[in-house]
Amino acid sequence: MNAPPAGEHSDIHEYLEEFEDIPGTRVYTAARARKGYHLNQFAMSLMKPENRRRWKENERAYLDEWPMTEEQKQAVLARDYNRLLDLGGNIYFLAKVFSTDGLSFLQAVSTMTGMSVEQYQAMMNAGGRSPEGVRSIKEKR
Amino acid sequence: MARITAGVATSHVPLLGVAVDQGKTGDAYFKPIFDGYEWTKSWEAAQKPDVIVLVYNDHASAFDMKIIPTFAIGCGERYKPADEGWGPRPVPDVIGHPDLAWHIAQSLILDDFDMTIINEMDVDHGLTVPLSMMFGQPAAWPVKIIPLAVNVVTYPVPSGNRCWLLGEAIRRAVQSFPDDLNVQVWGTGGMSHQLQGPRAGLINAEWDNRFLDGMIGESDALRRIPHIEYLRETGSEGIEMVMWLIMRGALGRKTRCLHRHYHVPCSNTAIGHLVLEPAE
Repeated sequence: MNAPPAGEHSDIHEYLEEFEDIPGTRVYTAARARKGYHLNQFAMSLMKPENRRRWKENERAYLDEWPMTEEQKQAVLARDYNRLLDLGGNIYFLAKVFSTDGLSFLQAVSTMTGMSVEQYQAMMNAGGRSPEGVRSIKEKR
Repeated sequence: MARITAGVATSHVPLLGVAVDQGKTGDAYFKPIFDGYEWTKSWEAAQKPDVIVLVYNDHASAFDMKIIPTFAIGCGERYKPADEGWGPRPVPDVIGHPDLAWHIAQSLILDDFDMTIINEMDVDHGLTVPLSMMFGQPAAWPVKIIPLAVNVVTYPVPSGNRCWLLGEAIRRAVQSFPDDLNVQVWGTGGMSHQLQGPRAGLINAEWDNRFLDGMIGESDALRRIPHIEYLRETGSEGIEMVMWLIMRGALGRKTRCLHRHYHVPCSNTAIGHLVLEPAE
């Protein structure tokens, strides 16, 4: 905890560049928020019971009501959450999709890690994933 | 005169709300978590605070991508529990304190904090889970709540130092309110967790415990932790801990620890909980 004060960050480029150095992580930056705007707003619409009903009736037709890219629509249909993060999705918005599917946070999150739900749950019960080796790509620590 | 008598910090994992609502708090998985809140429940029952300034973040419930306020204060009379996709939690409505809330909002704006004012919104698990942890399942919450929502989702989120300064400004605002009120400030969210990507499931108990240490006493080192350190060391959602610093800033120069609790895991998250009081 000997780092400089957060307020010393005056350079937005340097601030954002550091985020790309964290392995296996997509920080929800403005660039991602712009890319994923309609994807996230689609997911948000599933907060309403009437929309959930229409979504479940015909997912593809419901997606076609939104100005999303075909790539985003395919990733939603495939429930490929890592891909959705790359395409600008945010986990709290994507949660509306997996909640509608009846999945818990733990179940949905495990699908992004390459582990089975059981393996992931076992890792969490054993104290979680160690930060050792996954802090920085450049510094390999 | 109103005064800030204590600060409470706690994680606000949605699964804890499920455990309370479904009567599972005594289950083997949840018992070690809830046991750590028993002391606080009795303490709160004896303290009988009048108002809580409850610092939390909305999780795409009241706010979507249309509007992203960095700091928003609830000045309304009443807030309903949000439907987060599986129906609203069966918990009482949250009753506000518009007189104190507007007083704080006005004071903060004069103090150079450009607050967003919210009169109507629903409140999600970020706000209602901490209430359940501290008060159980009453027919009505025994305290008025001033919601203070912080953007910790879309970057850049406010710096730890800015959060600390906001806490200091909240303290000045509360102290200039004429009514005799017992006010607590709660900081919620955290501790280490990452809910996304191949690195999901990250937990850093050593770092979390150093952060808990840093909340106690007169050090102000925590306000200088940069965002990148929270992200690297505690996972992408560990950034929520900047909200604890609003509470810490509101307690003044020095704090005393009344209660401390830490447990791994709850779902994807490390549970941390502190009860602090101003030490001077």
